[in-house]
Amino acid sequence: MDRETLRKLAMLNQLSLNEEQKASVIAFFAKRDEELGVLNNIDTENVERMVHVCPIETVVREDVIDQKFQREDLQKGAVDTDEGYWCVPRVVE
Amino acid sequence: MRYETVIGLEVHVELATDSKIFCSCSAHSYGAEPNTHVCPACCGMPGMLPIVNKRVVDFGMKAGMMLNCHINRTTTFDKKSYYYPDLPAAFQTTQWFSPVAVNGLVEIETKDGKKGIRIKQIHMEEDAGKLVHDIREGTTHVDFNRTSVPLIEIVSQPDLSSADEVEAYLDRLKTLLRYARVAECEMAHGTMRCDVNLSVRPEGATEYGVRTEIKNMNSIEAIKRAIEYETARHIDAVENGTEVLVQETRRWDDIKGKSFAMRTKETAGDYRYFPDPNIMPVVIDDTWFEKIKASLPEFPETKLARYTEEYALTEYDAKRLCESIALCECFEGAMKVCGNAKDAANWMISDVMKTLNARQMTYDMLKLNGETLGKLIKLVADGKVSRPNGRKILDVMFDDSRLDPEAYAKENSLIISTDTGLVDKVIQAAIASDPKAVADFKGGKEKALMALFGKCMKELRGNCNPQELRTLLIDAINKID
Repeated sequence: MDRETLRKLAMLNQLSLNEEQKASVIAFFAKRDEELGVLNNIDTENVERMVHVCPIETVVREDVIDQKFQREDLQKGAVDTDEGYWCVPRVVE
Repeated sequence: MRYETVIGLEVHVELATDSKIFCSCSAHSYGAEPNTHVCPACCGMPGMLPIVNKRVVDFGMKAGMMLNCHINRTTTFDKKSYYYPDLPAAFQTTQWFSPVAVNGLVEIETKDGKKGIRIKQIHMEEDAGKLVHDIREGTTHVDFNRTSVPLIEIVSQPDLSSADEVEAYLDRLKTLLRYARVAECEMAHGTMRCDVNLSVRPEGATEYGVRTEIKNMNSIEAIKRAIEYETARHIDAVENGTEVLVQETRRWDDIKGKSFAMRTKETAGDYRYFPDPNIMPVVIDDTWFEKIKASLPEFPETKLARYTEEYALTEYDAKRLCESIALCECFEGAMKVCGNAKDAANWMISDVMKTLNARQMTYDMLKLNGETLGKLIKLVADGKVSRPNGRKILDVMFDDSRLDPEAYAKENSLIISTDTGLVDKVIQAAIASDPKAVADFKGGKEKALMALFGKCMKELRGNCNPQELRTLLIDAINKID
């Protein structure tokens, strides 16, 4: 983890970090890198990939429409709505 | 120096399910009021859990099988993080680590011959919402009707090298997916969209050049123009140093005929993919797998061969019918009833396809019942209804697929008259009303017969066999001294 990678990750996660926090995060990830390096040394040739940690499978539902929610109810907690739309600050110039 | 273009496509196809991928809201909201096909789950409200729509997996598998892919019998969903108002949960549920289908192959044909295009993977995912920017100053309006509508993304390897190949590839995908009835694939309706990844390199080189991605293309003609423009731009940059190429995402402006940089290209790491903890793996057991396999349609090539060999259709006619599974099904249904493949093909090509074109409908929009069409073809073949009146009945059948053509013909006096006395009376009246036409015909002017023939047809409302009427008319004229 270097400062540039941290800057990019912080931007993607919408995080604002001060210098002290940055140093702490870099040190944290340097340690994790070291630990993961140990795992990278294990020979996994011919080992089937584990798809999921839980040995259970999902349930599925039939393709049936059930439209039970009203727009007005869903928008009760909205900060701003207009003509049935949710409204947010303009995102394009 | 000569350059080659290297193109890989990411094609998004909206699946033809009734409901959304992870909730029970309707997946069809075209033209609907904003946010009327939504629920807490597809609005990304906290605590809502997704439940996978089984038909989405059915269609994902089916699409994979149509494109000769290996189907992952355990397939998983993952979260792809990005912040944008069209994605209320701030992540898209998609497949990254174990997509439903991998390693496929699609054969395309262009004027340069046949070529195999490798499919890297097909993954199932949810669509994003729609943003509208011009309703109110300073505001973006958000409609979540499209959020969570099921998509598959078909990712090709960079095996394409020209706009013609891209067109052939997209046509092939459309045909196969429409045959399997998994998707409409109509670019004009937004049910098929395409991202084009393109780079250039000196001919024979093995290293790839700098790649740019043009997002959200929704017309084949625009894609072709964008490929030609981007190819020229890349070659110019490499050869003349007109600009420094960077890996980026670009937008195509079809009116200006130019592409514009949108943002530097994200890499997979930027999206911080991670397994969705709310959806356990989808396990496709043997029964499920075999059921989908058994439901695959006859492939277009097999159908084409059967039509030419078994039904003795010309290759041209067979190819035209095989353009669409809807045409094939209608043709086969009609043929079963009328018992004449050539007659059925002739009606399909000369009348049904023409009517579709006149109504500005795609072939796949055909709702005509094949067996009912077969009844109409038989009525005409048996001489009970004239061909022109048969066409009129067909037009009505387009609006009412359950219409019984014989009952309709009877109700509307469109059955050919077997009353020879009436036909004879009509012919005599026509001759008496136009002695000049009679004299002209007798004098050798063949065209003069048409006026008399037209009068008779009009009087009989088209309810006669044109060949027989012509013969009777000529006989009647010849009997005049």
